[in-house]
Amino acid sequence: MQISDTNFDTEVAAHPGIVLVDFWASWCPPCKMMAPMVERLARECQDQAKIVTVNIDQNPATASRFLIASVPTFVVFQNGQEVLRRSGAQTEGQLLRMLKFSKAERQAA
Amino acid sequence: MVVECKRRPEIGYFDPTSITYDSCPEWQPTEYGHLLRGMRVMILGMDGYLGWPLALKLGKLGAEVHGIDNFLRRRLVDERGAQSALPIQSMQDRISHAKEHLDVDIDFREMDLMNREQLFAYIKEIQPEAIVQFAEIPSAPYSMADVDKAIHTIENNVVGTLGLLFGMRDHAPDASLIKLGTMGEYGSPLTGRPLFEGLFPGDATLQYQGQEWSLGGELTPRDPVSFYHVSKVQGTYSVYEACKYWWLRSYDVMQGVIYGTHTPELDMDPSLNTRLDIDEWWGTVVNRFVAQAAVGIPMTIYGSGNQMRGYINLKDAMQCIVRLIAKPPEPGQYDVVNQVTDVFSVRHIAETVARIGKREFELDPMIQRLENPRVEAEEHPYEVMHDKLKEQFGFGSDSNLEDEIRHMFQAVLEPTAKQRIEEKRETLFPRTRWSGEHKEMEVLETIRPAA
Repeated sequence: MQISDTNFDTEVAAHPGIVLVDFWASWCPPCKMMAPMVERLARECQDQAKIVTVNIDQNPATASRFLIASVPTFVVFQNGQEVLRRSGAQTEGQLLRMLKFSKAERQAA
Repeated sequence: MVVECKRRPEIGYFDPTSITYDSCPEWQPTEYGHLLRGMRVMILGMDGYLGWPLALKLGKLGAEVHGIDNFLRRRLVDERGAQSALPIQSMQDRISHAKEHLDVDIDFREMDLMNREQLFAYIKEIQPEAIVQFAEIPSAPYSMADVDKAIHTIENNVVGTLGLLFGMRDHAPDASLIKLGTMGEYGSPLTGRPLFEGLFPGDATLQYQGQEWSLGGELTPRDPVSFYHVSKVQGTYSVYEACKYWWLRSYDVMQGVIYGTHTPELDMDPSLNTRLDIDEWWGTVVNRFVAQAAVGIPMTIYGSGNQMRGYINLKDAMQCIVRLIAKPPEPGQYDVVNQVTDVFSVRHIAETVARIGKREFELDPMIQRLENPRVEAEEHPYEVMHDKLKEQFGFGSDSNLEDEIRHMFQAVLEPTAKQRIEEKRETLFPRTRWSGEHKEMEVLETIRPAA
């Protein structure tokens, strides 16, 4: 799901539970390469977490609000509060650990 | 997000994601996808093997075609004592013939890529929407022949490209750059690691001492096989950096070994012929083998002939380049395509040329295995990923190795072409060693292939 400056508050800040936000840009090769994995995890993890993307060029207000200095940057929100962020391409294991799920837990669920 | 239309500033600002190609009058549908109406394309190296057919194809599609060349290739082939197997016209004559037979207008300036003052002025004047960088010295053996030729190759290719990038930054920052790279940038890893399209996919990882990192989006390793190939790797880094620093946009085209002499536009009249080099320095292997078989010289395979490479014919390559021009990358985006349709061993090519030459043209083609003058693996795995052109750009191959070989035999067996090959027979045999030694290449084995 793509999030914009206009709906960030309702879709992320107001969302109870875990939201992973992938801040990306079209000119960033790791961002583009990660897109299929992020999309797949968004589908597979939908019961446990919401995974969304924010294009920083199209949504400069949100990008500067969260002080995004490089892309990709992955930010985890819990009940609207930022709890964790990592920059750079992530392995699937690293993203899932950010969501506090191990692969085994997710597969068992 | 809103932007101003660069072509029609009078319409003000609008959201570009809200408009489709069909609803925008600046785009026209073509068989290669939507193309900007009258798209201003500048071809650097327009007189070359690839540049000329591309100019004709783009002109036919309604693009506004501009280009430069310094005729270096003609001079270097001449200095080598070789010549194009097919006779080609002067640029001036070519342009009139293009008008006559294809009704296309081409704006050509004789110019050297290294003359930055002139190049920048031309870019500023034309404001190209796409620039195709073909103005490079493409020969591996030339780059290995001696220090002056190696330096010449690096200077022309690397410094030339670097200058071009500054010119784009200052005078046409919105243009997309179609940079001709080469599959040879990647080399042929003995581990059998597949050759991804320039950048690692998102799920590629590096594991080391119990830790794991994503390699997603990083440039894949390069292992070039001559100083020419080194120049292409350096070019890749220059372009990659420029996209990062200056928000330029570029496709880096890792093209397989090109062959063939045939596109629908070139076919309209022999006066439109593109060059067909067949000598050791300037010819590519399929073209060379056809020429050798046509005049009864054994086809020269280096070492075992099991070297695998990616290949693509001229017709397919032109379709790919046009598709890349029609669908530009986003601002700041550096992307890579592996422009390959098939993977063959050198031996397979020689055997295919022999079979067609024998069965269809009554030739008696022979194969000669020579000492390998190059430093390269002869037995190696080779897996090339090359789906992007098909999946993202709609490319569908129009031809195949056998048809192109057939077509080339017909062309080079014409008396004029055959004589042109005969006149320069001695240039068909390799004599440039990577080691720099001046020693005749030893013949290891002569084979008459089975029918």
